[in-house]
Amino acid sequence: MHSDKKLTKEDTWRPADLRRYIREEERGDFRKRDESERKHHRGDSIEKRTRDQEKEYRREKDNIRERTDENVKDRYSERRKEGSRDRREERDKDREKRRERDRQGDVNKYVDDYRENKDRRRDREERHDRERDKERSRDKEKERVRDREKYYEEEKGRRREERDKERSRDKEKERVREKEKYYDEEKDRRREERDKERSRDKEKERAREREKYYDEEKDRRREERDKERSRDKERERAREREKYYEEEKDRRREERDKEKSRDKEKERVREKEKYYEEEKDRRREERDKERRREERDREHRNERERRRNEPSGEEGRDRIEKYERNQRDRHQERERHKDEYEVKRSEKERRERPADRTHSELNEERDYREERRKDKDERERRHKDRRNYDDKQKPDSDSREHQDLRKSSEEVLDHRSDRERTERDKYKDRRYQEERDPERNDRDKAKTKKSASETSHSHKTTIETEITSDQDAAEPEYEDDFEKLDYEEDFEEMDESANDSEEERQLSEEKEELSDKRREEIKAIQRAMDEENERMGTAQSRQSPIREEEDRPKWSRGSEKNQSKTSQRGKFINFVAAKQREINKKVATQQKKRSTELLRLIDLDFSVTSSLLDLPPVNEYDMYIRNFGTANTKQAYVQCNEDNADRDIQTEEIELCEKWTQHPPEHYGACGDPNLTQDPQNRTVNEINFDSKRLTAFLLSASQVMVVLLEEDQAERESLRKLQSQTDTLSFSDGSLQLNTKLPFLYGRSISLIHFSQVQRHTMMSVHKPTTKPSAVRLDSCTVICIWNIWEPSKPQKILVYESEVLCCCFSPGKAILVFAGTSVGSVVLWDLREQACNHYRITIGEDEWTLRQPSFSTDAVMAGSGHLSSVTSVEVVPSAIAGGLRPEVPLLASEEESTGLSFQLASLDESGVLNFWVVVELPKANESGSQTDLGLRPGGKVKLLHSSSLLTTERVSQREATKTGPLQTLQLKFLPSDSNHFFIGTNMGIVSHGTSHGLRALPKFYRFHEGGVRPVDVNSISFSPFRQHLFLVGCGDGSIRLHVVSYEQPLTEWNNLTAGEPVVSVQWAQTRSTVFCVLDAASNFHIWDLLKNETEPVVTERINADRVTAMATFGDSGQQNTYSGVALAHESGKIEIQYFTKNLTVPSPAEDEKLECLMKEAF
Amino acid sequence: MMQGSNTYLIRPNHQHKFKPAVVKEYIREIVRDRLSGVRYNPEEVPELCRSLADSIKDKVKNAGLDRYKLVVQVVIGEQRGQGVKMSSRCLWDADTDNYAEDVFMNENMFCVAAVFGSYYY
Repeated sequence: MHSDKKLTKEDTWRPADLRRYIREEERGDFRKRDESERKHHRGDSIEKRTRDQEKEYRREKDNIRERTDENVKDRYSERRKEGSRDRREERDKDREKRRERDRQGDVNKYVDDYRENKDRRRDREERHDRERDKERSRDKEKERVRDREKYYEEEKGRRREERDKERSRDKEKERVREKEKYYDEEKDRRREERDKERSRDKEKERAREREKYYDEEKDRRREERDKERSRDKERERAREREKYYEEEKDRRREERDKEKSRDKEKERVREKEKYYEEEKDRRREERDKERRREERDREHRNERERRRNEPSGEEGRDRIEKYERNQRDRHQERERHKDEYEVKRSEKERRERPADRTHSELNEERDYREERRKDKDERERRHKDRRNYDDKQKPDSDSREHQDLRKSSEEVLDHRSDRERTERDKYKDRRYQEERDPERNDRDKAKTKKSASETSHSHKTTIETEITSDQDAAEPEYEDDFEKLDYEEDFEEMDESANDSEEERQLSEEKEELSDKRREEIKAIQRAMDEENERMGTAQSRQSPIREEEDRPKWSRGSEKNQSKTSQRGKFINFVAAKQREINKKVATQQKKRSTELLRLIDLDFSVTSSLLDLPPVNEYDMYIRNFGTANTKQAYVQCNEDNADRDIQTEEIELCEKWTQHPPEHYGACGDPNLTQDPQNRTVNEINFDSKRLTAFLLSASQVMVVLLEEDQAERESLRKLQSQTDTLSFSDGSLQLNTKLPFLYGRSISLIHFSQVQRHTMMSVHKPTTKPSAVRLDSCTVICIWNIWEPSKPQKILVYESEVLCCCFSPGKAILVFAGTSVGSVVLWDLREQACNHYRITIGEDEWTLRQPSFSTDAVMAGSGHLSSVTSVEVVPSAIAGGLRPEVPLLASEEESTGLSFQLASLDESGVLNFWVVVELPKANESGSQTDLGLRPGGKVKLLHSSSLLTTERVSQREATKTGPLQTLQLKFLPSDSNHFFIGTNMGIVSHGTSHGLRALPKFYRFHEGGVRPVDVNSISFSPFRQHLFLVGCGDGSIRLHVVSYEQPLTEWNNLTAGEPVVSVQWAQTRSTVFCVLDAASNFHIWDLLKNETEPVVTERINADRVTAMATFGDSGQQNTYSGVALAHESGKIEIQYFTKNLTVPSPAEDEKLECLMKEAF
Repeated sequence: MMQGSNTYLIRPNHQHKFKPAVVKEYIREIVRDRLSGVRYNPEEVPELCRSLADSIKDKVKNAGLDRYKLVVQVVIGEQRGQGVKMSSRCLWDADTDNYAEDVFMNENMFCVAAVFGSYYY
């Protein structure tokens, strides 16, 4: 219902005010609150709701009040001061007085109530004071009233009704109020009964209903008033009176209009107050009467109640009937009180008249009264205020009661006792007072609101008529109704309040009159009440703290009301709270101050948004893997048949092992195995291999022996045959052997040199010059060197090839395993004959396979800085002392020398006289891939030459003669076999120079011709005697032959012109006889000298014209038992003949040495 | 009742400053100790959170931070592949106030513990 209404601002806060005041009442009046609390407990939710709203409204209202009405505020502040000052004393005083006056102890409890209301009361009083001043100017009106009263007195009997209606409406109310005062007291007395009695909800509802009726009735009454007045006029009143009434009516109407403006209202109120204050005084005197009257009233009330019950069934009647009845009731009431009224009125008028006579008197009186009243009022203010409302209501409620009771609410009441009912009514009334109490103040303050409420009033009433049937109607509506009610009765209120002080006293006196029985009853009630209060007090205290706390701050504004309230509840708590508040405030201000000071120093800033956690969403697969892939779960797989793969090996396992093979199988086996040593089977293989190695070695040597033997055998047979045939040709020859040079690669080549190894005397090499003739083999520009074993003449042992012309060559000392050669391009090359044939180029010519060996080492260009710059004319092994001394037997197999490695020097001489010494070094292991440092070394080669030293031999020799004979050429190099430091060089000047490798001076420096002087004659050949090592032969280009002794410059002997001027090509000592030597000249004449037989001429001279002999070399072994000696002759055709000397040339004799000795003695 | 003159100490002593590294180590220690091997259980987690926050707070309190007001926030969540993003922003005096934070994770849950230290002037 409440929400249905469109609430204006005023509407909303007014009920709020109402509620606030109700609350104040509740707080102030412990008992009342208890009651109301009890009501709440019994489930009245409406009140709770409203109470909650209340707080807000109260706040709002305070604000509004302050804003809208400054005057009121001022007034309040004044009053508050006064009130607060007086309160304590008053309270104490009040208590004492009350105790005296009120026999009942519980009256004390009202003190609080009184105190609360004191403020309000004082408000009113002060207002009254002011109003009174104004009143003086309104004598007319008073006089009118007085006239009226006079008139009433005259026509008392006749016009009781009218009186009641008009003027006595107030009085009636007063009467009722008085009754209600009594009821209030009685209420206290009968609280026990009440408590038991009621369901408060019903009461409330009933009360509300009744109030609605009040409202309705008010409206109606307003109308009625007019109507009645008119009716009265018509019926009974005289014209004059009518006039008067009309005047008064008008006045009232005017007043009602004026009410909207406060001043007018106040004036009216003041008027009435004035009147009532006078009346109060009067009433004090009439107390006794009133006491009686009270009793009577009580009886009347009971009667009324009884009557109320009777008409309860008449609900359905028309309003008109109600009005009539109402009027009738009122009439009855008034009649009942008529006696009293009359008495009162007479007294009143008596008093009023003198009062009216002089305003000054009145004022004095009023002042006096005021003072007196102050005490009283302040004591009783609250009580009175409440009572004021009671009084106000009373007339209405009385009149309405009849109507109400007729209505539905009656049903509930029916079964209850009349008395109870009356009490209930009283309570209701009191509640209304409470509700109305704040409202009134509000209205006083805010006049403008009234108009609004008035406008809303009309439709409210209509609504309310409907509501009456609804028992659960909401409170707010009634509150609105109360406004209306108050509004109507505004003028009356003040008067009534003024009267209250007297009534109060009357009440206390009345109490004395209570019967003993009553007293007992009351005591019982009191006890029960106290118990109840205690109970409720605890419940309340339990329930209320929250609310209290909420409220406290508001109260702490210091308003007296609140203070008084809290003090009522618990004085020290309030002070402590206040103190605490002070402290808090202080601390707060301190902190605030500090914070303001600090804030200047501190910079607050927003920190960068920092990410605490950033967990990216996981996709489905990862989630699956995380959940099922790892921890906490086990993945069980079921394998279906289709994937049931089974892997089986169906064959025996293959045994694998590593093997190697090599082609050609140069090594121990054709195949090898890295794991052989561990394998016993393989070890046998290894042993076998080892055996085969030895076998091979054996076979090699044995086969050689066998071949040699076979060849010897064959050669002997052939030679025998040849010898037979050739004997005629060569006189010196004992037999001859022809080497098979008819080889395709040797075809057409002339032999420039034949050389025998000094150690292995059967080993011979022949140097075949390059040929210009085309041949099947492309070796045209190459020099071919064939190594021969003279016992195996069918084919050469080794075939060596070199790209350029070879001018000189020699074997290594000792076993003939190395071949050295000097070339026309200035390089020194060597062949290692031990190298495997597979490492060399092979050609197959016809059925035969030939291995053409390239040099193992060459100084070609590699040692350009240290090598020869011109053609190498002579290469000689520097004989070591040991090597020279030793003459080992010819070993077929490898000697120790071979195994221990080679270590000897090689000397090479070029045309320009540069003599280089080389050290022949054999590497311990051949490198198949070739050496990176020795670029001259053939891959797989083991022997190389290291340049040792270099000598220029020609300078000393040629300085003198160079001018005459042109550049000196050095042509031949020989070392002294006994001392390797001495070397002998044949030059193109016909002399042989003598030098030492260490630069020591050696004498004689030169070996020259016998005649002396230098001739441009080449020294073509130098040969040292194998028996007498200081003897050497020199063959010259002019055909002269000299025999020198090392120690002498002059030759021992000199043979000139023996060769008919033909240059000597070669001079060689025979190997078996010391006095025999061979000479070959360019004309292919072969001469053999035997100094023992003939010192001046050769013993044998053979002219070989058929096939010219180009080269010759002697061979033979002196130490062997089967001594043989011979000469190898190389023919122009390339044929090599080996001629064995006849016995006379080979067998040495002791006379030879003697002969040589003789020769030397003869010469020097 | 608090009386006495106002102090104007607006910077903490260096030793008593809120050092994120140190606090982080505390957090890590406590969280690791308490959560290792723990499975996520929605019923227990609220209590766990609370007790974690309390123990972290106590620990940090005892660390000798002077005049610091601490706020400890512990968030424990289940890891079910969802994305989580947490961030904080503070209005404070960056010279004195700081925060430390540590994240603990195992297979089924994550725990973020953040301690905000605000200097009380």
